[in-house]
Amino acid sequence: MGEFISILPGQRARMVWMLPWVVAGAASCGQATALSGSLRVVDDAGDTVGVAAPARRIASLIPATTELLFAIGAGDAVVGRTAWCDYPAAAAAVPNLGDGIGPSLEAILSVRPDLVLLYNSSRNGETATRLRQAGIPSLLLNTDALADVGRIARLLGRVSGRQREADSVAAAFDTALAAATVPAGGNAPKVLLLVWEQPPMTVGRGSFLSELVERAGGRNLFDDVAASAGAVSIEAVATRDPDLILTASEGPAAFISRPEWQVVRAVRERRLLQVGGSEFNRPGPRAPAAIREITGRLRVVAR
Amino acid sequence: MSRGHLALLLLAVAVSLVVGLSAGTVPLSPGQVWAGLRSAGAPAAVIVREVRAPRVLLAFLVGGSLGMCGAALQAMIRNPLAEPYLLGLSGGAGLGAVLAIASRAAGPWAVPVAAFIGALGAVALVYRLSLVSGRRLDPRVLLLSGVVVGSFFIALMSSVMVLSDSAATRNAFLWLLGGFGSSSWQSLAVFAAYAAIPLGMLLLNARGLDLLALGEEPAQHLGVDVDRTMRVVYVCTALLTAASVAACGIIGFVGLVVPHAVRTVARPIHRTLLPLVFLAGGCFLVLCDVVSRVVVRPLELPVGVVTALVGVPLFALLLRRTLA
Amino acid sequence: MIVEARGVTIRYPRSGRPALRDVSCRVEARRLIAAVGPNGSGKTTLVRALSGLLPLEGGTVTVGGRDVASWPRDEFARVVGVLPQREEVLFPLRVAETVMLGRYAHLGPIAAAGDADRAAVSDALKRCDVAELSERPVDSLSGGEWQRVRLARALAQAPQVIILDEPTASLDVRHEMELFELFRRLTDGGLATLVITHHLNLAARFADYILLLSGGELVAEGSPREVLTRETLSRVFQWPVAVTSWGDGCPQIVPLRSGERES
Repeated sequence: MGEFISILPGQRARMVWMLPWVVAGAASCGQATALSGSLRVVDDAGDTVGVAAPARRIASLIPATTELLFAIGAGDAVVGRTAWCDYPAAAAAVPNLGDGIGPSLEAILSVRPDLVLLYNSSRNGETATRLRQAGIPSLLLNTDALADVGRIARLLGRVSGRQREADSVAAAFDTALAAATVPAGGNAPKVLLLVWEQPPMTVGRGSFLSELVERAGGRNLFDDVAASAGAVSIEAVATRDPDLILTASEGPAAFISRPEWQVVRAVRERRLLQVGGSEFNRPGPRAPAAIREITGRLRVVAR
Repeated sequence: MSRGHLALLLLAVAVSLVVGLSAGTVPLSPGQVWAGLRSAGAPAAVIVREVRAPRVLLAFLVGGSLGMCGAALQAMIRNPLAEPYLLGLSGGAGLGAVLAIASRAAGPWAVPVAAFIGALGAVALVYRLSLVSGRRLDPRVLLLSGVVVGSFFIALMSSVMVLSDSAATRNAFLWLLGGFGSSSWQSLAVFAAYAAIPLGMLLLNARGLDLLALGEEPAQHLGVDVDRTMRVVYVCTALLTAASVAACGIIGFVGLVVPHAVRTVARPIHRTLLPLVFLAGGCFLVLCDVVSRVVVRPLELPVGVVTALVGVPLFALLLRRTLA
Repeated sequence: MIVEARGVTIRYPRSGRPALRDVSCRVEARRLIAAVGPNGSGKTTLVRALSGLLPLEGGTVTVGGRDVASWPRDEFARVVGVLPQREEVLFPLRVAETVMLGRYAHLGPIAAAGDADRAAVSDALKRCDVAELSERPVDSLSGGEWQRVRLARALAQAPQVIILDEPTASLDVRHEMELFELFRRLTDGGLATLVITHHLNLAARFADYILLLSGGELVAEGSPREVLTRETLSRVFQWPVAVTSWGDGCPQIVPLRSGERES
């Protein structure tokens, strides 16, 4: 990520009457160009975007970035969030713009953001292009893995003018993560990550939940599956004989009373862990606590 | 069907059952399967007895039922493209399932029962629409109504899913794609007990189907009470198909392709055709289930996907043979 | 067994004039009745009415003294064989299988076909002269052969009454004559026969009794000589005809070309 010039106070007056020419130039190119006095950011989709820092009106359309912005103290700069941004509690006061994937352009424009953060999926690529054409810098970000937390925190720090806070949050996170991570041992308990009951579905080794479990000292029962999610047969589960079943679904686990599941030992012995909080499905500062919760539960199982 | 063909079909049934019990995440040899079936202590016993056996038997029953329904509908509506799902069932079942999931209905049977009720609701609506001049089930209108009502319910279902703010509801279609993953001795017993009567009624009306295939007037002249026979066949196929949806989601193509395949080697006299289609349909679905379990193991493909992927080229092949 | 219509009036829904108005006829053993008339005069409606397929606005249809509506369909099919004009062939059967369909009314849903049924089938095949075609699929037959197979199927029902709607449509002279000779033989052997036909001359040669329908009404009935007269036919068919005589006074109709006059 490149950072060219930081804006000095004296240059602002000159910029004001240069702005129309620059905007016209930018619009005619149809792409974001480097404004003088702005940051050049290369986002996770590989696009180079000029961001006027510090951004004061950020539409954060990813729950992970909403969480991080509040964590680094840039919560008042957040002018828009998705319906899924449930942490921290203060985020509820921010206008809800709807879905984060394929969001409504009108909703975004209605809050007049000067920066839009979108999850890096192909559907959002179009949205990002259209926003940039309207002169609003938009960044497509991957927020899937723990490794993204520190990196994204620091980026958010730069664009919101809170580099110091971001650095300390990132450092604290790295420390807490290292502390919470259980070193890989020989006898890691096998954990079935059941993300859906009918049909039974699990997540493979690259997914966030899988990462949490690995760091907590457990082993994803299906760590030989590379796909992010897929349906599995109960037979496969029974054969691999998990020590613990971790479910991420809401509501009581109905599957444990179903006859076809009784063939799985962990179901018969009721070795279940239900995780419901959003800290289990997105990387963020709460991840170390999530890992600790799983670690504690695994120790109970191992006894 | 000649003796040779019948022997081949029975052999195929036996082979498919053996393959169904042997294949899976952990491949077992037929010897291990046999040991597992015989004694409860054998290493493969649990897998074979508790997981694979009910699954394979349920797949066989469902495949046979869907095949038989397809054959009966093709004769009754006098349209070789008739399929159990043309009755508008998929949409109704989907809506029922989605509403059950959205309302967080409790209990493991909530979703299947709701899908069943939804399917029957759609069928009742299609039936009502097809009662031309208040009395007669008109086959041409039946086909159209089925498609229209089915689409309507699917649209309703999609709206509910999209507008819902619950992740569970938005992913409800995963249940519909279904499969035999949730088979148990219990669900097998329920389906078997329930399907016995409709299957028997279809067989009883086999001769009526032979005559209905000639047209309504000729059938009446040859002794068929057309109204009553059509109602019975319609209700039986609706019940069987709705129960299949409740048991294993939406599986298409079995009812369409298997009857045509069997007709290439067997006489189209329904007294013998229907049982043969039952055997062939059962065999077909068991093998499709094996494919769904094995091809991306340890993950599973939805069985409906496999029947379509296999069914479409098979259908094309059949068309070539019959038109050649 | 007698099939009798008395004063039958039938109106199709959403239709102005009645399809049949006050029509009576009596189909009884050893009598071959031919129903003739222009297109749309109600001949097929009459077949449907006698089969009990249509609700009557007025009048009665009785079979063996009982109202036709009280006859269960399979019981009716054991006594009356009806051959409609059209039928579809969706899944082609062989000839023998097709004729066996005629036995279903006797077999019911469960019983297997026995020797009596097989004998009835082979007898019907012989009488209609299609015995050597018995293993052929029906979609490989010519028009005439297919008609005779359908007739054999109706005969396999072992009916006492037989009603045929345009049985010789699109058949050639030989097959027309063969079929009507067969109808005559069957009727003389005890069958009650009603044939709808537009072949006036065949009706004249073979029928004992003619019903002349026009616009849903019975405008004339009686022996061929009585009914098939120049005045009546020209009026009803709205075309000038000449009537000659063949053999022992059997009327034969010759439609006139424009400009022709009766010699």
